[in-house]
Formats: sequence, C-alpha cells, structure tokens
Amino acid sequence: MAIEPAIGSELPGGGLPAGFEGPVVAPGLGPYQLAWRRLRRNRVALAFGGLFVAIVVMCLLAPVYAQDIAHTSPDANHITETIKVGSKSEEVVSAAGIPIGPTWHARFFLGADQNGRDVAVRLLYGGRNSLFIGAVATLITMLLAVMVGLVSGYFRGPIDGVLSRLMDVIWAYPALLLGVALGVVLAVSGLNLGLFQIQGNSLLVPAVIVGVVYVPYVAKPLRGQVLGLREKEFIDASRAQGLGHVQIMLGEVLPNLASTIVVLVPLMLANSILLEASLSFLGAGVQPPNPSWGTMIGDGIRFIPAAIHTTLVPGIMLMLTVLGVNVLGDGVRDAFDPRARIRVER
Amino acid sequence: MLRSFRLLGALVLTIALAGALSACGSSSKSSSSGTATVTNLMGTAPDFLDPGLGYTTQAAEADWISYTGLLTYAHANGEAGTKLIPGVAQSLPTISPDGKTYTFTLRKGLLYSNGVAVKAGDFAYSLERSIKLNWGGKSFFTENIVGAEAFDKGTAKTISGIKTDELTEQITVSLTAPYGAFANVLAFPSAALVPTGTAMSNLSNKPPPGVGPYEITNVVPNQSFSVVKNPNWAKDEIPGIPAGHVNINAKIDTNTQSEAQQVLNNSADVFDWADTLPASLLASIESQASERYAKEPTVSVFYFFLNTKIKPFNNQQVREAVAYALDRRALSRLDSGFMTPACFFLPVGMIGHPKGSCPYGDPSAAPNLTKAKQLIQASGLAGTSVTVWGETRQPRREYVDYFASVLNAIGLKATEKIIADATYFPTIGNVKLNPQAGFADWNQDFPDPSDFYLLVNAKSIQPTNNQNFSQVEDPHIQSELAVLNKVPSTNLQSVAKRWEELDEYVAKKGYVSVYGYEDVPKFFSTRLNFGAAIFHPVYGNDWTSWQLK
Repeated sequence: MAIEPAIGSELPGGGLPAGFEGPVVAPGLGPYQLAWRRLRRNRVALAFGGLFVAIVVMCLLAPVYAQDIAHTSPDANHITETIKVGSKSEEVVSAAGIPIGPTWHARFFLGADQNGRDVAVRLLYGGRNSLFIGAVATLITMLLAVMVGLVSGYFRGPIDGVLSRLMDVIWAYPALLLGVALGVVLAVSGLNLGLFQIQGNSLLVPAVIVGVVYVPYVAKPLRGQVLGLREKEFIDASRAQGLGHVQIMLGEVLPNLASTIVVLVPLMLANSILLEASLSFLGAGVQPPNPSWGTMIGDGIRFIPAAIHTTLVPGIMLMLTVLGVNVLGDGVRDAFDPRARIRVER
Repeated sequence: MLRSFRLLGALVLTIALAGALSACGSSSKSSSSGTATVTNLMGTAPDFLDPGLGYTTQAAEADWISYTGLLTYAHANGEAGTKLIPGVAQSLPTISPDGKTYTFTLRKGLLYSNGVAVKAGDFAYSLERSIKLNWGGKSFFTENIVGAEAFDKGTAKTISGIKTDELTEQITVSLTAPYGAFANVLAFPSAALVPTGTAMSNLSNKPPPGVGPYEITNVVPNQSFSVVKNPNWAKDEIPGIPAGHVNINAKIDTNTQSEAQQVLNNSADVFDWADTLPASLLASIESQASERYAKEPTVSVFYFFLNTKIKPFNNQQVREAVAYALDRRALSRLDSGFMTPACFFLPVGMIGHPKGSCPYGDPSAAPNLTKAKQLIQASGLAGTSVTVWGETRQPRREYVDYFASVLNAIGLKATEKIIADATYFPTIGNVKLNPQAGFADWNQDFPDPSDFYLLVNAKSIQPTNNQNFSQVEDPHIQSELAVLNKVPSTNLQSVAKRWEELDEYVAKKGYVSVYGYEDVPKFFSTRLNFGAAIFHPVYGNDWTSWQLK
C-alpha cells in the first residue's frame, strides 16, 4: 500500500503535473471521502454489506425473538414436550431421539435440535456469539499486529529479529491446529495471566485464541510497509524536528497504515468467524451449552440423514455472513486502491 | 513421445493409488501368518491399556483376553458368562471355613506372551503393582487383603497377606474379614499376572506381557491398537478360554455417526457396544442390517454424581430437588430410546434391585419441577454456582446439556465443563479437583451388588482414579456394607432384601441421581459370524468368539 498524501493538494491550486497518468480525482477530497465515493458506486459490495448488517441486527434482536415470539431461551430443553403444528400435535423429539423439523410457526420455526432446543433461537444467539468472537478476535489481531508491525519495522535490528521470528513460529503452525491445541487446553483451565483472568467457558477464550493465531497474518505485511515508510523524507523531517520514536510511530507512520488496516479488517473478520466456527465444530471453541454456528453444525452432523435442518440452517447462516463480509471487504479494498480509475462526478 | 510416456506414467500411478486406497478401505484382511484381521471401532479410547490401571469397558474388553488372573469368567452369553472358572490357577480356590483364606495352586507350564515362565510370586507382584499405580478399584485389594493397606501407605514393602511358594506353586491370600465377592475381585484384569520386575509405571503405550490367547501391540495413543494372537498360547492352554479366530485392529472413532455408517457399509466390522447408535441411522440399521444387529441388555446404571462434600449438593434438599426435577424420559430419548428410565442405583438384573416405587416420583412420568424449585428455595442455596462435568462423546454431552438446563430451571446457576472422552474419568477421579457434579455410569464388573457399591463406599475414596465421584461417606452405608460384603456371591439371595433396603436408602438420600439402565447395540459387518459372537454379561463383546463367515 502506497503512501497517500492529500490528493489534489500536491500542487498549488490542486492542479496535476504535466503527463500525470494517475487516477483522475476530485479536487479537495481526502482519501477516505474518495474511498467512500468509490464504495458507494459498488452496488454488489453494498448489497452484501447490507446483508451482513441485516444478519448483525437480527442476531442483536435474538432476546426479543426468543422471549416474545418463540417463548423460550437458547438453552431450554423441551425434549418430552409436544407442540401443535397446524391441527396436528407433534413431539419435539421423538421417542427414538429424532428432533422435529421446521414448523414455520412461531415455536420451532426452524425446527428443534437433539435436546429439543429451538434452532431459530439458538441460531440467533449463536450468531451473537460468533459475531462477538469474530469482532473481538479481529480487534485483538489488529491491535497486536499493528503494535508488532510498527515496532518491528520501525526499529529493525534485534527487536525486529526477535519479533519476526516469533511471528514466524506462530505462522509456521497451521492456524486451525494451533487454535485447537490452545482451545482444548484453555477450555478446561481457563486463561490466567495474573490480573487478566478468563474462565474456561467464557466466549473470550476462543476470541483470544483466534485473535492471537492471526496476528502474523497482519503483522507481516504491516511490518513490510513500515520498513518502506521509515525511509521516507517526512520521517527524516520529523526526526529533525526532534520528535521521539513513539511520536513518530503514532503520529507519522500509523496514519499512513490506516488504509491498509481498514482494508484488512473485513478480511480478518471473515477469517475469524470461520476459524471460530471450525474450532467450535471441533469442540475447542465456544463451550456448551453456549450456541455458536460451529457447535450447531457439529451437533447436527449425526442427524443429517433424519434431521438435516440441524446442520443446514447454521451452515447457510455462516456462509451468508462470511460471504457478506468478504464481498464488502473486496469493495473496501477496491475503494482504497489508488490505482483504480474511477470517474468521479463533480 | 516423452509426453505420452508421462501421461502413461501418470495413469499407472493414479491406478496404483486408487488400488492402494481401495485396499485401505477394506476392513477385513489376512495377515502374513494367515490370521484374518477385523476392524473394531471404539467411540472412545481405553482409559489405560496397562492391566494395572485400565478400568473402562474399552480397556477391559482388550485386557480380559490378554491378561488372565487366577480366576476368570466363562466365555458365554447371558448368565452363564458370570460363572467363575479357573484361570492361571489349576482350580477354583479352597476357602477356609471362616472365609478369610483363599488357597490356589498355579497351573504348570504357563508362559507369558514373551515366552517367560509364569511363577507364583508374580501374583503378589501384580497386585502390588496395581496398588502402586493407583488403579481405580484398588480398594477391593486394600480393603480386604491383609497388609495391602499398609503396602499402599508405604509402611510395608510387600503385601503380608499374600504368600507364594515357588516350589509347590501355591498361592495363599489372607483377608482381613470375609468378603463374599473376593473370588470375583481376583478375576479383574487388574489382578491378572504380569512378570515380576515389570515397571511400576503406566505401560499403556507398550503393555506388559500377559497370559492369555491375545496380546496387545502397536499402540498409537488415542488412535489405534492391535490385539493379536499370542504366539505362546496353545489351543486349550487353559480349559474354557478359547484361542480366538482373528486378530483385531481397534480404531478410535469418536464420531458415532461415522462409526455406525462404516459398520453399516461394511468398511469396518464392529460397532463399540458402549456407544449409542445415532437416532438418525437406527431405522436404516434396523431395516438394512437386521440380521447383524441386536439390542443386548446390560447390568449397568447411568447417573449424575453430586459431590456431597461441597455446596450445594452437601444439602439433602438440593439433592432431593435434583431427583424431583430430572425428566428421565428425556434422557432416554437422548439415548435413542435405548435407556429405561429408573431411579435406583442397583440396576435390574442385579440382586438387591428394589421392587418398590421411587421416592421422588415415577421415573417414567413427568418430573415435579414445582416441588424441586420449592426445595431449592427452602435450602437457601438458590443461585449457587455449579460446574457440571461431561465428556464429548455423544450423547453423553447431551445428557450434561440437559442436566445443566434442569439445574438452571430449578434455581441453581449451572455451567458446563466438557472434556475429551479419554481423559474424562481420570480427570474427575482427581479428588483435588473436587468436581461438583457430572456424568457417570457403571457397568457391572462382577455379578455382586458390592461392585456397584464401590461407587458410594467411603473406603474407596482415593486421591487419583477415584470412583466415588460423589465422595459419599455415610455411616449407615458403611455399617451395612460391613455386613453385606461378607456374604459369599453364591449366597446373595439370603441378603437380597437387605440390599434392597440399602438401595432404597441411597435413593432417598439422593447421593447419586440415577436416570436409567441401558440396553446396548451388538452390531457387526456382514463379514463376521453374528450368531457365533458372544455378548458377555461382564465384558460385552467377547473378541475370542469373533470369526469370519
């Protein structure tokens, strides 16, 4: 990602130098305004972004749906109950253990799982958990990666050597295997870092695991960018003005990483949601009875021949969410790409 | 031309790979020695394959036929299989009139699987080893054999109550008091003989030599192990113990769906009887494989343990509330309908199973949640946090999901701790961990109620591999056991009524929350002779009876 000085302000009057073949831009527009303009014109990205927002809103409204429509909670078991579906009375879970399929009514709209829990309710609560973990994990990844990338690229030398090797070690481990190993251990014992303690069944456990596992994937490219930035004249000028290292890193280098970070956020969010689902599917992520899309898919696997909805419903939701974030992320990346030749209306 | 050769080479390679893969998929094949190998799937790995430590059904199945004790069980279906027969002893023991001294004579000419001769002194060493390793049932030894407790505590170098004579090959075991089921205790694989000098450490990854038709080899922890015919075992080496027909490759497959599907499709040969057939495949199995599938009754009990040492289950009202609130019909449905709802600790088929009604409502009817909530409020412990332990294996995790939801519904604050199957029982058996509540089950080790009462016997509480998960210490139980345990297994009917009363007492106290007795699936591939395969009342599938059609 190249440095983006304020576009249109390079020459007095905002004019372009002779022979300039770069993007044609509106004078006086900052890079974020310009990116927003570009994104607004990308209808596909906006549509999928809208889909993602709709899923988030639905998941946030899970308690409303559970209490006022489905009249249950995500962990309430209704194994031996019967419900009215139209004129018929049906068992929520049959005597042989098969859960009821979608009723398309308020109760068990998307069917029940093996414990007689409402799949629609668990889907929304599971979405809250999956999205929460994805968001927190992305935040952790970005914070740690920015810190590592900045320090490593700015100072170079031994500090860079140690941090880069540490990143190499984490990177050398397949993310899923590392996540499973950490997840299995922390699910039982929790995480105790002195002042910072997390219970084994807390949602923060998978969030921390996913967040840490992905740090090298972001820190490495950021470090590369910082290595280039630190050689630029404006950094030399800052040093000449007597600014300290921290001031230069935070005040001069970091703002120039912003567009890269913005582009990476949706990408990491999608990856984090997927990794959390994989970990939960394998029993190393969200701990029962908390729902997540991954645990729901894992629990439903053995019912595929007789009650496919238990796997299909969370699977589709996971796919739509990740698709929404990914297409939006592509749109954001295109919007920030300075080489894009997009006509801007004046 | 070169390109043609490359194409041809790629084609040959592809065909070779396909051939190799299809060979891998075949579950039954012959080894170089000509003995066929069958694939036995297990939903969970044995806790330990070392006979000095193993205590789960998966361990016992393999250890039983690889490690023979002084006594063992007849290889037969049903009640006939509970009959004790001489193992490495020449005959059943001579028991002194006071019931405290058991005398055996070792068979002559027996060899371990490594070719070393069996000696009488190995018996004492083997028991000492099981005690030192902290086998979960070691209280059967320490509580009954003279000097075993002192050995366990480290105040004696050997067990003074075991005398062996290398010349006459005679073994004498002295008991502190008569114990009616002691002969059955000697039939445990953990009382089987291993060579003197075998390391006093867990050898599950390379099990020690034993005496039996089979030996355990090629252990890949939590993945697979082989049970192959013992080269030093002659046909009719010990009357009543068959030589076996096939070698067995045991594979761990924690996904019961995949386990059942593989056996249904004949890509594996045996479904683990201790696993639950997935409800979604049950109909297919019953219709497509009825000639190789059967429901077998077991003498087993499924329950939630409630730690009586700590809050909230040290309170009688809270335990009663749990007993009132459990919907045992729900747990039966989670078990694909294989479980019969129940409330008493001693299961049907075991002497002492009470015939009266359950103290906290009919287990086959709806629970009394209102009463349960009232009891929790009255106890003053509403809102108390409870960690419910469970294992990942289905439907055991679902049982715990259900149990936690019930505890929450009656006013407690339950969270779950689910851990891997292979480490579950050793983990909750660590007394320092003090688990509050969780899943537990028990399948009979021998046909005597005292086997089940190990689980609520104060004397069986031990620091590691503890089986008394509720940590019950009740003077009434102890005084009753002191009397009942003395009655010989052959005379149990004379005290059946007293066992019933004791079991009713335990149900009233609610130390363990029993929810049912389970039938189990006997399910094979078409390659095996289903009719000839024995389902043993103690060890489940009898691997020595497996043979190809």
